[in-house]
Amino acid sequence: MTIALPRPESRRLTLRRPRPGIAAALIVLALVGTAVAWPALFAGDPLAADPLHVLQAPSAAHWFGTDQLGRDVFGRVVHGARHSLSIGVAATVIAVGAGILLGLLAGLTHRYADEALSRGFDALAAFPLVLLALLFIAIAGTGTTSLIVAIGIATLPHYARVVRAQTLVVRQAPYVTHAVAFGASRTRLVLRHVLPNVLGPIPVLAMIGLGEAVLIAAGLSFLGLGPQPPSPEWGAMLSEGRGYLHIAWWASVLPGAAVTATVISLTVIGRHLQGRFEGRHQ
Amino acid sequence: MRRIRPAVVITVLALALTSACSPASSGAAGVPDAGQPVSGGSLTWAVETEPITFNPHQYAQAKARLLVWNTFEALLTHDGQGGYVPWLATGYDVSSDGKTYTFKLRTDVTFSDGEKFDAAAVKANIDQFLVEGYNPGVLAVQLRYLDKVEVVDPATVAFHLKQPDVLLLDFLSTPQGAQISPKSLKEAKNLKAGGPELAGTGPFVLDRYTAGQEVHFVRNPRYNWAPSTAKHQGPAYLDDITYRFLKESSVRVGALTSGQVQIVEGVPATDEALITANPQLTLSRGLNSGSAYSYYLNSANAPFDDLRVRQAFREAVDVDAVLDGVYRGTATRAWSVIGPTSPFYDKSLEKTYGGDAAEANRLLDEAGWTARDAEGFRVKDGRRLTVRLVQSAPFVRDRRDVLAQAVQAAVKQSAGIDLNVALVDQGTATQALADGAYEVFDNSRADTDAGAALGLLLHSGGAINRIGVKDPALDTAIEQGQASGDQAKRTEAYRQVQKFVITDQALVLPLYAPADQLAASVKVGGAGFEPTAGVPGSAYDIWLGK
Repeated sequence: MTIALPRPESRRLTLRRPRPGIAAALIVLALVGTAVAWPALFAGDPLAADPLHVLQAPSAAHWFGTDQLGRDVFGRVVHGARHSLSIGVAATVIAVGAGILLGLLAGLTHRYADEALSRGFDALAAFPLVLLALLFIAIAGTGTTSLIVAIGIATLPHYARVVRAQTLVVRQAPYVTHAVAFGASRTRLVLRHVLPNVLGPIPVLAMIGLGEAVLIAAGLSFLGLGPQPPSPEWGAMLSEGRGYLHIAWWASVLPGAAVTATVISLTVIGRHLQGRFEGRHQ
Repeated sequence: MRRIRPAVVITVLALALTSACSPASSGAAGVPDAGQPVSGGSLTWAVETEPITFNPHQYAQAKARLLVWNTFEALLTHDGQGGYVPWLATGYDVSSDGKTYTFKLRTDVTFSDGEKFDAAAVKANIDQFLVEGYNPGVLAVQLRYLDKVEVVDPATVAFHLKQPDVLLLDFLSTPQGAQISPKSLKEAKNLKAGGPELAGTGPFVLDRYTAGQEVHFVRNPRYNWAPSTAKHQGPAYLDDITYRFLKESSVRVGALTSGQVQIVEGVPATDEALITANPQLTLSRGLNSGSAYSYYLNSANAPFDDLRVRQAFREAVDVDAVLDGVYRGTATRAWSVIGPTSPFYDKSLEKTYGGDAAEANRLLDEAGWTARDAEGFRVKDGRRLTVRLVQSAPFVRDRRDVLAQAVQAAVKQSAGIDLNVALVDQGTATQALADGAYEVFDNSRADTDAGAALGLLLHSGGAINRIGVKDPALDTAIEQGQASGDQAKRTEAYRQVQKFVITDQALVLPLYAPADQLAASVKVGGAGFEPTAGVPGSAYDIWLGK
């Protein structure tokens, strides 16, 4: 599908009652956001092991039970929000930043450079995201930083392609031709006239992309390629807990539920914003 | 942009729910059993560890031992009392000076490629070890005193030693001492990796290996030379057997409860209840011989070059509590580098150290690690008290990675020590060991004679002496233990070794005595553990009840 050009009326604020799906997603994101900003509000040390109380079922003392080392699963899920979300956000920031830059470059330079860059985006986009990220991690090694960069590179083509397409449209717009006629410098042309007008769809795309980035991050951590133990990361917790599924479902299912709820919420909000942006909810 | 894929998470959740809810098989009226031994049938066996090699001379993983004896055999084997029993040999003599061992060999044995087994074959196998780079570890310890092998006649072979060495007999009963067809030794393209191209004399022939998945053996119909310790003679009962490599314990147990495999080895303590509660399944355990699973503290690197820091590390771990948490009371705590089933085990070491957090903190304060950083770790001269443990994935068994995390949490909480654990592939681990980029080295060895393990791990020339220990007195004690055939003298020598590394120098933190578990369908008969070694035996005596 394609991103439609912004219609003026879609920017108008409308007072409507939020639908329950959106409300639930907002609540989840608010909770996750608080957990990221201030985990100590909810839970204590996520690394405190207690070998005498391992794999205990959820109770008043441990809302989500304890894991194989007697650590509080709820505490780990709360503290894990910061790990999982920050990887997703950082990766999306990299992808958006690099995507805008490369997209602009492709849209504004002459034909051959555009061709080369565009085929580059196509090649990157042709790989499944996880495979591309795995490839990068295989070269750069495991760890949080390389995980962030890997996901950033893997998701970059989405943004670059959209920016390039928008740039091609905008550079033909009358106000740009007029600015050229008035003798605006190249830098001023790009920064003042082109850039602001190609960024319209990016926040919406980034919102949806963030959910995807969080999901890939959790998936790669599940494979042991992200933050190393004992870091409380949702994907890693799922992976560590799966050996105990028969007897302690909470150690893996609840971190999994946290990933699911977060990704679904981000996607619901992203879709909603996309709909509004395209004027579908008018 | 419809590219969101929650599929990964949803699949995992779905798997989680279905496996959590899968019913145990219904208790049938009248529990069936395997009945009398019968010939025929195919068995599928799920194992935890994929061998890094199928060449028995290169054998390094205790968990791979059960595969070795299917295809290969040694001159001697062990009985249940720790003595030696003839296998491919019919008997041996030791000269009065202890320097010449003469073996009489069976004359009715052929390799599966048609080659005859004789004295020349034995010599060819031993000579292979003399090839540079083939297996320096064995050459440095088990064969360090070997002068030459002499073919007296086709059925007689003599080992001449430079000085007495009792470990020779143990070596000739281990997988490394197993006999490979001389033709394979000459012609195999990838000798060190082994595989279908290496022929042995065993009851099965390896005919297919799919890396990462499974290895397949078919019966050797001509086999008729089982040792007296076997439960039957003649060819094996099973037509063929497939070993599937299922690294995840929950997957192995799931494969057994769902009937995809008939027998599994390596059942974690947390899953044992699932097996024992099911009347269609049986569970058995064997305690391994050899060295205990221990953390060896690298005295060549700071901060473990300081005895007080080594002692503090050991005091900081409440091993009993950690083992209880990880293994739920099924693990046997080790107090010495030698396993508790060995005759050389020094029982007096028990309860002499460990688990004293106050003492750990006192020692660290004394050693100058007085400051703490924001995360609560001790600091000295701006450096955090960090020690690194690098675990090689192919050697991780019994949830040793989880155990490492438990120890990591324990030393942090009780003494502010930062144990940095990295679980990596074998290449990375080998590199880290070569570079000395570690302070903790973890190891257990399932040698039937613990002396072999001590020589490898603690002698200054040992192939896996990873802790920089070079002490003439220690070397002498290890050499004495290897030289004497007298049990009392050996016990005394190894008592000194244990005192040095445990009590005096705190070079070792023993954790637990490795054990193996077998869980099988009641239809599987004859499965058991090797005498003395305590590891799961080969498939030779196993049959599948109708």
